[in-house]
Parts: sequence; structure tokens; C-alpha cells
Amino acid sequence: MPGLLEVNNLSVSFDTPKGAVQAVRNVSFTLSAGEIVAVVGESGCGKSVLCKSIMKLLPSSARIRSGSIRVKGVDITGYGEREMQRLRGKLFSMILQDPAAALNPIMPVGKQIAEAVKVHQPKISKLELKRRVVELMTMTGIDRPEERMEMYPCHFSGGMKQRSVMAAALAGNPKILFADEPTTALDVTIQAQILKLFKDISKKLGMSVVLVTHDLGTASQIADRVLVMYAGKIVETGTAKEVLGDPRHPYTRGLLRSLPAFSKGKKTLYTIPGMPPSLLHPPAGDAFACRNEYALRIDYEEEPPMFRITDTHYAAAWLLDKRAPKIPGSLPEPAIHTEDLHVSVETEDNAPSTRHDEILLDVQHLSHTFSVTKKLSVKAVDNVSFQIRRGEIFGLVGESGSGKSTAARCIMNICRPAGISKGVKGEPAKTRILYKGIDVCDRGQFRANKRMLETTRQIIFQDSGSSLNPRMKVCDIITEPMKIQNIIPPRGTLRAEARFQMHYVGLDEGYLDKYPTELSGGQRQRVAIARALAMEPELLVADEPAASLDVSIQAQIVNLFRHLQREHGFTFLFITHDLAMVEFLCDRVGVMYKGKLVETASVKELFSDPKHEYTKKLLGAVRG
Amino acid sequence: MRGLKAGRKVVSFILSVWILSVVVFYMARLAPGDPLVSYYGDRVEKMSRTERERAEDKLGLNDPVTVQYFRWIGRALQGDFGISYKYKMDVTEVIGKRVGNTLILGGIGLLLTFGLSLLLGVLCAWHEDRLIDRLICKAGTVTSCIPEFWLSLVLILVFAVHLRLFPSSGAYTIGREGEMGDRIWHLILPMTVVVTGHLWYYAYMVRNKLLEEVRTDYVLLARAKGLRKRSIMFRHCIWNMMPSYLGIMAVSVPHVLGGTYIVETVFSYPGLGTLSYESARYKDYNLLMVLCLMSGIMVILCNMAAQAVNERIDPRMRAD
Repeated sequence: MPGLLEVNNLSVSFDTPKGAVQAVRNVSFTLSAGEIVAVVGESGCGKSVLCKSIMKLLPSSARIRSGSIRVKGVDITGYGEREMQRLRGKLFSMILQDPAAALNPIMPVGKQIAEAVKVHQPKISKLELKRRVVELMTMTGIDRPEERMEMYPCHFSGGMKQRSVMAAALAGNPKILFADEPTTALDVTIQAQILKLFKDISKKLGMSVVLVTHDLGTASQIADRVLVMYAGKIVETGTAKEVLGDPRHPYTRGLLRSLPAFSKGKKTLYTIPGMPPSLLHPPAGDAFACRNEYALRIDYEEEPPMFRITDTHYAAAWLLDKRAPKIPGSLPEPAIHTEDLHVSVETEDNAPSTRHDEILLDVQHLSHTFSVTKKLSVKAVDNVSFQIRRGEIFGLVGESGSGKSTAARCIMNICRPAGISKGVKGEPAKTRILYKGIDVCDRGQFRANKRMLETTRQIIFQDSGSSLNPRMKVCDIITEPMKIQNIIPPRGTLRAEARFQMHYVGLDEGYLDKYPTELSGGQRQRVAIARALAMEPELLVADEPAASLDVSIQAQIVNLFRHLQREHGFTFLFITHDLAMVEFLCDRVGVMYKGKLVETASVKELFSDPKHEYTKKLLGAVRG
Repeated sequence: MRGLKAGRKVVSFILSVWILSVVVFYMARLAPGDPLVSYYGDRVEKMSRTERERAEDKLGLNDPVTVQYFRWIGRALQGDFGISYKYKMDVTEVIGKRVGNTLILGGIGLLLTFGLSLLLGVLCAWHEDRLIDRLICKAGTVTSCIPEFWLSLVLILVFAVHLRLFPSSGAYTIGREGEMGDRIWHLILPMTVVVTGHLWYYAYMVRNKLLEEVRTDYVLLARAKGLRKRSIMFRHCIWNMMPSYLGIMAVSVPHVLGGTYIVETVFSYPGLGTLSYESARYKDYNLLMVLCLMSGIMVILCNMAAQAVNERIDPRMRAD
């Protein structure tokens, strides 16, 4: 019996001025009805392209070079746009990463779902149509659907938007649902809900799901089978248990080991060295060879075939050949035991500490209200107080919209706190942000200490793609603050200084004269870090510095921070939504929820004995 | 709540018009030139000093500018905008004779520009990078390089002089003022010039905005839902592009309406374009004031209209 979807030797390439980029290379897999398959890999590995090429949703520069796509035994490889239109929505549908962009902002949500229903039932009556929309919205877990169907996407939260997208995608009762990073843009607690929804709906409708993700945690939660993709090829495939519990390809191992949970109690997070190769000219042999510490000579010469491990588990690595040497040691057990944690804390305490008891930053009753209109205002930060000691790494955790970034911006004088705080007895309390005893919110004090405040405090933003000026060279970006402040570079010239700082954050000198767009996300973030560190700051604020990066790159950046903080001894305010990272990096944590700081504790206390309900929920969501 | 909002809009409208009137009034008087020339013509050169003073006194020009302004605004509020120095009759009468012509030429020109550029833009975006798109874009680039006066002259030469299909000048045949057909016949050549002069800029904008929309995620989802290209283009993309298009259109209304000076001159078309130019050049203060206020009010009203339409289209623009 043929499977629901059979892909054989599929190769897809994009025509670019520089040549053909081979985004998908000889990919074969089958999907049976009701199955959830996760496609895992770093960004740029061809996961999304694979899904879109099956649905023929790629731009016109993409070509299917070879291979076939069969659905229930029927070859659809050569289908044109018109024939595909009939299949889309009905046979397969798709959910995209960013639900905010996937909905038309100027059309009521209900109408967008109704539209999808109408495509397949053009003669449906109005009443029937409405009933179907309500049914779809209820199925995807949207409360009060009658009321909400009239609302526009801008009135929905991220999770609700993703549910609406799902409702629209499910309108034609598709047999296969492609979900392209469906939870990446969502908060941790919402992620778990959406994943559960996938599982429930798949079971209820007997629908197959192809889940594209870079997050192995997500994959392990709901997938039946896992395909690991690297450089456009499938390098390992098997059931979720086999691939994640007994990974055989060095790449899969690398991915698993980069998860912070595996490095608990270690000084540095494991990272896969290097970057995925360019698919313009894919390297000969195993594309992963140059990043593989156990690479054999044959890896550089000949492409490995798929080796069979069990009937369902296959991997493409020469190491699995009978003639290959045995590699020492296998994947370490994930260290979730609490004993390990204690050990790690102790070793840290023995390390030469830069910590003092001096309080560097003292935030008192910080409130910030955004007024949308005269009547409507949003309390982004509500009476937040915390202190950071010199040399400490303080983590600020919370989901998006909890006010973390706004708090950081107030601390950095990027925005002026505007809002009324109340003291213990309800009396109005003055907002004060004391940095080295200077109230940075006070205009007079700020002006008197302007130069000191501007040089000793530095910030790093989340998206270095947009926070670095695309028209400036890396060298100029790094030294710009020195130029502005008229600081004589300690290493002679500005260029020498830039070179030194780049070396310091692990960037090759060759990038000095490159522009930010020529660098990868991880490299750009290193530039941002170098720029901040060039000023030798006493306080460094990093606002989600790793959130937009791949898992393996995230680990590199976090390692870098840890290393640099030890060497420099700067005080570090680290803002993130990722608890695992906090556990690895920080000394103390503050948890923010809806603008309020609900809990402040040392990392050890917080993870072993969370006090606040929300913290418990957050920890629960991460641990699954 | 709604009443309050409307009230605030009216207040801001009146305030803008008032500020505009002050600025135009002072600027016109600060600029060099002799307003008496437009009233007395060449005779001014032969006037003695006392004659000049008497003339200035008669027109109220030797009082301080502020006094002049308050006198002007006092009368204007009662509906008296003064007389045109050049035409020696009420400003409203001078404008009244020509405003219809301009509204027809500019108004229809605007509607045609709006409709045609939308059509061309959609056509190009639909066939992105195919022959028809490239042809239209190339043609547009070339056409927008042709100066208006040259195009006008060529059109007159070909269609009026050689082929004798259309009249070469005027707004109507003398003696047949009331006939609609005659007026339209006279309009065709100047209209062609007005529309071709503006069309490409807007068409190109529509095309590029649409192509931006086509590349968004919601279009991808719409395709994944199984929607046809036509539905996606006409139900989703066009409406998402509309607010920015309307915004640009609103600002350029007076540009299209009043920017017909060259066309009016070449075709001897009696419209406001020539009038505005002359009133500014010859210091016909009263006429200039009213013309400036008219185009100012037009901009403000068009912006308000565009805002109202955009609020209907896009819920995110509604401030509530």
C-alpha cells in the first residue's frame, strides 16, 4: 500500500546571480496517515524549502531538479499552478512561523477562515458557513468564537493568532499539515499549548503533521518520527525515541548536546564548531565533515550512504560503517540530577570571584506606562524594584510583553520612566534608578555625569540585523562609540582597537571591512558584543541577545558572555525568555509577569523552590 | 465621543486655515514687486509721487501689514474677499468663471490618473517580470521624461493641425458654451497631457507596493489555503496597499488640480493654473490669498477624507 506522501530523491535549487543554490538535495521520505513527523536542523538547512516545494509555494526562482512527489500513489511532481490550487487546502495546508504576519491585518479573522472554507465549498450557505467557522475556531481552542470572528488580527494575542491560522489551514480538512516553526515566535507557556493542540487535532482528524523546527525539545514532545536535515540532505531518520535517545549521526549528537540541559553543571555549553556550508557549491563527501571532530578521511571524499541501524532508524555517517573506528564515549546523559547542580554552584564559588557587596544598580519603584490614546494606556512596567551587585549576572525572565525590555530601556535612559508607583502603604513612591549612586532619571544628575553614564553602561539588542547600521563597516561599528566620546583608543588606532576587540569575541580579522549583511546572525551578534565591550563597560545590558539565533549559535553566544564576564568582571543584566540559559549563566534571577516583578531569587533557589505561581508554571512548561 | 472627535477635527481645520492665511498674507507682502502694476499697468511708471500715494491709499496698501491683515480678515469673514487688482472685479467672480473649467480638467484628470495607475500597477504586478510588465515599465520611464509643454505641442501639431480631429485651444467653441459634448471634445488633448504627466509615477508606486504585499506571509497562507491568484490580489493585496496609495494621492490632489499651468497656457485653457501664476507674479494680493486658501483647504479636506477611508479599511488606524 502506498503511503500518504512519498518523496523520492527530491532535489530543489534556487537560481541566483551567483549560481544555483542547492537547497534540498536527494531527499526521500514517506509519510503515513495520522503520523507526526518532525524535520529538525539549523536554519538554512532546507527544512522550509522542502515543505514549500511539496506544496509548490516557492518563488519562481526555485526549480525541482529531480525526484518525484507522490500523493496516495499519484505523481504530482509535474502539476501546474491550477492543479496545485485544487490540492492546496484540501490535501495539504500550511502554518507559518510568524502568526502576526500570516494573517491579513485588514480583514476580520472570521472572514479569513471563512474564505478558506469557501474555496472548497463555493456553494455553502451563509448560515452553514458561519457554523463551520465557529466549529473550526472552537476546535482550535478560541473561546467565544461568535464574538471573536468579527475581530481583526491586531486584537488577538500571538497564541490566538496562531490558533486562527491553524483554523484557516484546517478549513479544507487537509490530510497533511505542514507546520513551519509554528511555535518559535510564541512564548514558552503558549508553545506547550499549541503543541498539544497539534497532537490532539492530528489524532482527532487522523491528519498527518510535518513539523519543521530547529528545537529538538519541541520535536521530542509530539513527534512520532524525526528527520534530521543538514545542508539540504536528510542525515538521520528514525522514531523520535531512536533519534533523540540514541543519535547516531555526529550532527544530531551535536544538536542534542547544544541544548543547555545537557551542559548543566559544566563551565561552558557544548557547541558545534563552525557553520553550515554554503549550498551554492556543496562540499564533496559528507557536508558535515569539517565540523565533525571524528571525521574520517572518507568523509571528505565520498558521500556516506544511509546506514541501517534498525528497521526504522537510518543515518548517513561513515562512522557507522563496519570498518570505521569506534568513537570514544557516547552522548552524555542529560544532567538533570540536582546533585550536579550543587557541584556546579560550589565550583563556581571556588572560582576567583569578581563579586563585591557594592550595589551597582539599584532600581526603585520603576513604572512605565505607554499611553495609546488619552483614555487607554498600558502599564508596561509596574512598580519594579531590584538591585544588582557589582560583578553579578542578573537574569530578567518573562514572556514577551512582560515589560523586561521596557525596564532595560528605562535603565539605559533610552526611554524615560513615565508612570506612578505606589509604595507599601499605597502612598506614591518616587521612581529612582540609582547607578553608582547617581539617579539616572534625574535630568540634572544625568547631565552632570553624562559622559561617565554613556561610557560605562552598554546595551546589546536582540536583533543585530537591524541594530547595526547596514551601511557601516564592522570596523567602524565597533569603534564608533570611541569616536563619539573622543576616547583615545588604548591600542593606538581605531582600526587596531577594532581588530583587538574582534579577536577578543572570536571574530576573524578578515571581517574588518565587511558590512553587517555579509555576516551570519551569530557573527553579527559578536560584532554587537565587541562594540559594547570596546568601551570597557561596568554595566552591560543584553536584551534577548540570543533569541533570534539557532540553538548551536545560541550556545556559542552564551559561552562567550560567560567567558567575557569572568575576564572583564562587568556587571551583567541578561534579559531572556529562556530559563535554561538563565540557569546556566546567571547568579540571580528576577521573574517578570505582566509588568510586575513577581519573584527575585538566586538561580539555585528559584529552580529548586519556585515561590510564585507563574514561576512554577514557567518551569513546568520548560520541563514538559 | 464621536461628536467630540468631529469637533476637534473642525477646530484643527479652522486653525490650519487661519495659520495658512497669515503666512500667505505676510509672505506675499514681503516679496519684492509692485502691486500697483497689476492695477494700473504701464501707467505706474509715469505716476508722480502724490498720484502713487493716492493710488496706494485707495487700495489700502500704505497701512502697516498687520492692519491690512485684520481689515482683510474682517471683510473675508463677512464673505467679501476684495477685488482683483488686475481684473477690477470681485475675486470670487474672477475665480467663479474659471473654477468650473479647472475642476473638470483637474478632477477628471485626477480620477483618470487614479483609476488608470491602479489598473496599470495591478497589471504589472500580476505579470511581474514578464514581457508586459517590462514593456509598461519601460514605456512609463520614457513617457515620464517627456516634458509637458513638448507633449502638448506635439499633440496639437498632430491631432489639431494635421489631422484636425481636436481643437487646439480653449474650453469650448464660442457660442456653444452649454454643450457638454463640445466641452469634452475640447478637453481630450489637455487631459491626455495632464494624465500622462502623472500616471507613471503612481502606477509605478502601485506596482511596487503590490509586489511588496505579494511577498508577505499572509499571501503565502492564502495560497496554502487554496485561494486563487485573483482572489488573493483583489481581496487581500489591493486593500492592504490602498492606505498608502490614498495617502499619497490626497497630498497630490492640488498638484494635479493646480499643476496644470503649462497645459492651460499651451492650450489657452481658461483655468485656475494660469490665474494662480499671474496673481503671484503681479502681486494681485486678494486673488492670491483666495487661490492659496482654496488649495490649502483642498489638501486638508483630501487628507481628512483619505484618513477616514483608511480608517475604514485598516482597523489599526482607528484610534480608539
